[in-house]
Amino acid sequence: MNFLLTFNKTTLLISSFFIISIICFFISFTYIQAKKIADIEISINNKTADISKPKFSINSNKQKISVTANEGNFLTENEIMLEKNVIFKSDKFKIYSDNVLFNKKSLIASSKNKSKFVSDKTSIDSNGFDIIENGNIINFKGKTKLILK
Amino acid sequence: MIKFFILLLILLFNYKFAISRNAGETEITTEDGIEVFQEDKYYLLKKNVEILSDEFNLTGQLVKIFFEKDLYDVKELIANDSVNFLSEEYNIRGKGEELRFNIKDQKIIVNGVNSELFLEKTKMLSDGEISVDNIKGGFFIQGSNSKLLSDNIYISGSKINGEFEIIDGKRNIANLVVEDDKILNIKTDGIIMYAKKAIYDKKNSIIELFENVQIERGSEIITGDYGILNTKNKSYKVSSKNSNKVKAIITNTNE
Repeated sequence: MNFLLTFNKTTLLISSFFIISIICFFISFTYIQAKKIADIEISINNKTADISKPKFSINSNKQKISVTANEGNFLTENEIMLEKNVIFKSDKFKIYSDNVLFNKKSLIASSKNKSKFVSDKTSIDSNGFDIIENGNIINFKGKTKLILK
Repeated sequence: MIKFFILLLILLFNYKFAISRNAGETEITTEDGIEVFQEDKYYLLKKNVEILSDEFNLTGQLVKIFFEKDLYDVKELIANDSVNFLSEEYNIRGKGEELRFNIKDQKIIVNGVNSELFLEKTKMLSDGEISVDNIKGGFFIQGSNSKLLSDNIYISGSKINGEFEIIDGKRNIANLVVEDDKILNIKTDGIIMYAKKAIYDKKNSIIELFENVQIERGSEIITGDYGILNTKNKSYKVSSKNSNKVKAIITNTNE
């Protein structure tokens, strides 16, 4: 006799109904959550930045560091929050991050986001950084990994 | 199912190797960040620092790494606070409050209380400073509780200056100068020596002792101003400038 025919049809029907209901509930829940996140992202994306594609530079006697980002928003007269694809670039290195607070008067840059420093045969991954003294000192913050090749 | 578990086990065992550094790379991790001083050309590594490289591994709480022209061109490091050093490449391990390692010159200096440095079977201890020049083969131990221990020799003195020679790829003590303002102590092959200064010459197989000399072997105790021990036949001679002092010549022959 076929194994499946031994099941009670009513029990099988009720069980199937419950299982399908649970699956439907999870699919609906996931969809609603995803929609909420998408709505938030859309509302953020609709926000217009103060500056589009801002460019700055940090100059010292020994090096010039160019600062670029996709967006910049003024927090105060001198403080700008650089957002999305923020890059600090000099002859010797590049630093990538997503959110960097830059003071265009003191030329101090600070980030609390994951950052990546790349130079010749050298890379540093950290949870943020500070650039001070016109780029002479770079302070990588939190748990940090330095690789020398 | 069995195949799945075998695959899972293989993945678990190889996970660490898959994410670890590649050959030739130096991986440095810290808990509290790294400061890069571009003009002064050094990195400052803070809290629970771990350095892994092909040549050596090091842990410490605060480490300064000096580089030359380029950021990757490391020449020297100074590690502080609970430093542990291990180099299988150079067969050296050590620990102390401060460790300086010149990577280019292979010079290691360990400072502070309870400093230790092991070169193969030779153990160096001090509450002051231990320095080793791994290329030239010289070493220097100074400070209180300075000791040198090897297979069959124990030396304590406030200044221990010596040289290694490489025989069959292993380090052997070739020459030694030991000094102590109070009294130094050397123990070897059942002979205990005390003096203010001792010179070991491996080539001629002798240990010379200067000032406040005392040599003990079993129940024999001989004192004087100068002593000389032949390390091959274990005979020794003690003399004194002052004729009133005890002088003795004793050999290990049954005369």
